[in-house]
Amino acid sequence: MRLFLKDQLPLFVLYIAQLVLITLIYWLDGYRKPAISLYAVLLSTAALGLYLGYRYAANRTFYRRLEQPLTTLSASPGSFQPSPLPEALHRLLQEQARLYQADLLGYRSQIEAHIQFINQWAHQMKTPLSVIHLLLQERDDPQSSAIGDELDKLRKGLDMVLYTARLDSFEQDLHVESLELGALIRRIVSDQRRLFIRNRLSPRLELEAAGVTVVSDEKWLVFVITQLLTNAVRYTIADNAVISFRARTEAGRAVLEVEDAGVGIPDADLPRVFDPYFTGTNGRAFAESTGMGLYLARQICDKLGHQIEIASVQGEGTRVRITF
Amino acid sequence: MYNIFIVEDDPQLAALLGEHLGRFGHRIGRVRDWEHVGEECLAFDPHLVLMDVNLPRYDGYYWCRQIRRSSTCPILFLSAREGKMDQVMALENGADDYITKPFDYELVTAKVGSLLRRAYGSYASGSDRTTTVAGLTLDCERLQLSLRDRRIELSHTESQILDELLRRPEQLVSRDRLLERIWDEHAFVDDNTLNVYVNRVRKKLAQLEIDGAIQTVRGAGYRLLPVWEPPG
Repeated sequence: MRLFLKDQLPLFVLYIAQLVLITLIYWLDGYRKPAISLYAVLLSTAALGLYLGYRYAANRTFYRRLEQPLTTLSASPGSFQPSPLPEALHRLLQEQARLYQADLLGYRSQIEAHIQFINQWAHQMKTPLSVIHLLLQERDDPQSSAIGDELDKLRKGLDMVLYTARLDSFEQDLHVESLELGALIRRIVSDQRRLFIRNRLSPRLELEAAGVTVVSDEKWLVFVITQLLTNAVRYTIADNAVISFRARTEAGRAVLEVEDAGVGIPDADLPRVFDPYFTGTNGRAFAESTGMGLYLARQICDKLGHQIEIASVQGEGTRVRITF
Repeated sequence: MYNIFIVEDDPQLAALLGEHLGRFGHRIGRVRDWEHVGEECLAFDPHLVLMDVNLPRYDGYYWCRQIRRSSTCPILFLSAREGKMDQVMALENGADDYITKPFDYELVTAKVGSLLRRAYGSYASGSDRTTTVAGLTLDCERLQLSLRDRRIELSHTESQILDELLRRPEQLVSRDRLLERIWDEHAFVDDNTLNVYVNRVRKKLAQLEIDGAIQTVRGAGYRLLPVWEPPG
């Protein structure tokens, strides 16, 4: 209604000016009967009022549509009156929505094709990795060990690519089940034993004797814990240091902690460690930090409905905690 | 002696697997024509099939179903995909077990051995794992070490250490490699524990009247020298 009135404002002004002009001409010509003039003004105003009333009624939906903010990209819903303006607007909006959607669809299928390509490619790269891995297994010299270390990094990098690409289609890639946290940690630590041995570190497992069972997706959870383990090893410089893994039940909820006695994270960096591509002071001091590990861990935990927190004292160590 | 058919399109990987399994005395067959994997496989009459998932013409699931129509031999899948659903897919299509790439030789050996045992029973034939250096024979399955007519029992860890050393006589075996080999899910080993284990192995060797065979290379590792007198 307001938009309609605003739109018609010039007409009002013009109409009043014309009334004044015509009355003035007759007045100056010597026709001076105020009652008749007033009657003419009333009659004409009534006619204008009727016209405007009809216009508004006919284009009600048009004005209402213009005043409503857009919420979706889909073609404008609601019924349109069969008059030219609303029909034209409806057609325009529909056309626009169609164009946008066609465009979006193009991008969406492009992204999907890209993700599929990444997926395919990362999996294909695992065959040459297997070959190198098997070739190295037969050898035991410093060079082979060094190649083995780099191979581990490649594997982790590929996994990171795979999991990042999958994050968007998370729901389709979910297999929730009951998992025993202790057994899971043992397996992960054992899989990563090379990392511990090469860095002269040892794991310490503090697991509740009765076992801690969580409901989660094994593949994603293993990825998160492996990320935490890799970080803990990377930022621990001292030889023979210990990295602790704790699983217990606190106030009815399962809790997993990964704690290292490494370099720790400066207070200024701590609030941002879960941001993508954030590497911070430590990232600059230690090579090979992508800034993606903790970001992905956080994203995955959010989607799995787990809570992830980090606490750290610079020079003393870092503790990451997942509450299930 | 079993027939093992390897369906893997990466020639290098297929060759390495074939070579490795061949060492246990198995007869190895490989795919020549990717259009007729099923026929080639059945013609080879395998006791076990190693099957990759991503293959040139049809995927591993397809060939698995084809083979299953006329054979009940164990099929072990090799796949880059580690997802639960992929494993379920493989099992539903007739696979018996699943290994994700990249894998260790030990894992392949163990899975192949266990599938063969489950399918054909006999414990000893074929999958025997013995290493012999100058008459000193280590049997990793039975955890026994023998020289001439004398035989002693070993613990699992001791046999693992000896296996590494015997496979490379007179060469340096690094501490890292030994640690990686004897690492256990339930008891993590550090440097000191490794020293203890190596000393136990030395004592076991002493029971066979072998002294000074394991040489310590400071800070690097160990070396096995065949100082004993070979039989005959």
